[in-house]
Amino acid sequence: MLVIDNLQVCVKMEEGKGRHILKGVSLEVPAGQVHAIMGPNGCGKSTLSYLLSGREGYEIIGGSMMFEGQDLAGMEPEDRAAAGMFLSFQYPVEIPGVPILTFVKEALNAQRRARGEDETSTPQFMKLAREAAAQLDITHEMLKRPVNVDFSGGEKKRMEIFQALMLQPKFLILDETDSGLDIDALKMVAEGVNTLRGKERGMLVITHYQRLLDYLKPDVVHVMAAGCIRETGGPELALKLEEAGYDKYAGGGA
Amino acid sequence: MGVAMPPNAMEAAFLAQLDENVPAREMLAEAGLPHRRIEEWKWSDLRAVVGKLPAEPGVLTFVAARESDTVAKQGQESALCMPLLASALSKELHIYTLKNGETLELNVDASAGFTHQQLLVLVPAGIKAQLLEHYTVQSCAFANLTLTIVVETDARLDRVVKQDAAPEGALVLTSLIKLAPKARMAQTTLGFGARLARIETHVSHAGEGAQIRLDGACVVGAGLHLDQTSVVCHEGAHGQTDELFKTVVARDGKGVFQGKVYVSGGAQKTDARMQHRGLLLDDKAEIDAKPELEIYADDVVCTHGNALGAIDDEALFYMRQRGLPEAAARTLLIESFLAEPLERIEDEKVREHLLALLRTRLGVVT
Repeated sequence: MLVIDNLQVCVKMEEGKGRHILKGVSLEVPAGQVHAIMGPNGCGKSTLSYLLSGREGYEIIGGSMMFEGQDLAGMEPEDRAAAGMFLSFQYPVEIPGVPILTFVKEALNAQRRARGEDETSTPQFMKLAREAAAQLDITHEMLKRPVNVDFSGGEKKRMEIFQALMLQPKFLILDETDSGLDIDALKMVAEGVNTLRGKERGMLVITHYQRLLDYLKPDVVHVMAAGCIRETGGPELALKLEEAGYDKYAGGGA
Repeated sequence: MGVAMPPNAMEAAFLAQLDENVPAREMLAEAGLPHRRIEEWKWSDLRAVVGKLPAEPGVLTFVAARESDTVAKQGQESALCMPLLASALSKELHIYTLKNGETLELNVDASAGFTHQQLLVLVPAGIKAQLLEHYTVQSCAFANLTLTIVVETDARLDRVVKQDAAPEGALVLTSLIKLAPKARMAQTTLGFGARLARIETHVSHAGEGAQIRLDGACVVGAGLHLDQTSVVCHEGAHGQTDELFKTVVARDGKGVFQGKVYVSGGAQKTDARMQHRGLLLDDKAEIDAKPELEIYADDVVCTHGNALGAIDDEALFYMRQRGLPEAAARTLLIESFLAEPLERIEDEKVREHLLALLRTRLGVVT
């Protein structure tokens, strides 16, 4: 489903200079699987999430990233979204003045139009919204508020998962979704994500800690350090990292 | 003043219509039309702009829901140049006395050439009424309009001013508002700019429980100019003023916000708040803002704020990541920025109408 092959990336900087931030990343997430990427701060794992979703400011200097046979590199962020790519942001952005339901409805219909599908009807949309909100303990009052404005860190993360439930993407990238969550919120978010698991859907879970993975139970765990995937294994790798830390990957070089 | 400037074609045409010794003639002959060397007009060089427009009389079409109650031959005095000219050069003064529960709609259309008009709107004590104005200015037109509005004790007036984009025309709309004690007024402007448009509001605020809300949402399209100037003078104690202005400016456009709140020595317990927020859509967009407080009373709450910014790239990326095309995401951000003053309109039908109008027009501008 998602095939990243020897991806090398620079961060664009002033005067045409670039900082090499991904140094040949390869990984493949088949439909139906959940892969985790773990690594120390600054290893490049958030960069990978931004690259896949199409944020500006990066330059691909080698390799490729293919999603269901389409080359993501040439696609606008909205086209990637319509193709089914969803990024749950590490820091969800505040959009004053735009109520969350209005925003999600506009986004959903824009995606549907881009795919040549009919727009969703309001009753159908509201029914879906009520169900998704109930699952994440989101009140009706919260849904009327502007996107992410005056929400706590945990509320913002719940709202990201709410949007994922509404948009039903084919592929989910969770970028540090566990940061800023207490244990109850973590469980709730993980349950929301787990309802999205299915044999048609892939997920990439980016995290520093193993605790979210207790609930999400990934199929594969990758360890990233200094811009490279350094080790790949099963769920037991996450537990090992929790004990030993990332020290053995320090120093760079594959 | 220093050496008088030779009049431009527009000024010469006005002078030719003015009798000797009238104050308007003296003012025009001495100082000319307002221009950039006059402090109050430093960002809106009216003289330069209208000097290039045809100096011939035009036609002002005035469509109101009903006839005015009285027509006076005599103009009204003013210390301000443009109202003084409107008074001296227009042939009559239309007077409307609003009735309780009335909504008076005024549609004003200026054809090519210059036009002057003055109006007096009276809101008698104790009544509640609405005034909805709509201004269109055709290519090569220069319209100079003055509205005097008197809101009596315990009366309430809700006023909306819509100004259509006029890429080749100029408009000066001056409102002279007098609030009696306990009078309440709310004014909302939705403007789209012109070759030069100036919407200037002066409020003489009696205090004693009188309140005014003065709002504006402006979208200045590419290459256009819109100036929102207001002066609120608190003359009595216990008065309230609440201002919220938002300005969005496209490439090569210019938005001007000048807001002054003056609190006289006797206007204790005045509560005045003034906010201006600007959004620049392009590196080549310009906003000039001058919020001013002048306070001579010592027991008042007066605040002002002014902030300018660009579209938030982070928000734009977030919205696009959820599937909104870039243009739609930008429009939604601009719309939500401008909606705030419009949402303060109390009448639901009028509020929804302005929000819908904004939505339609934004598609064209951005």
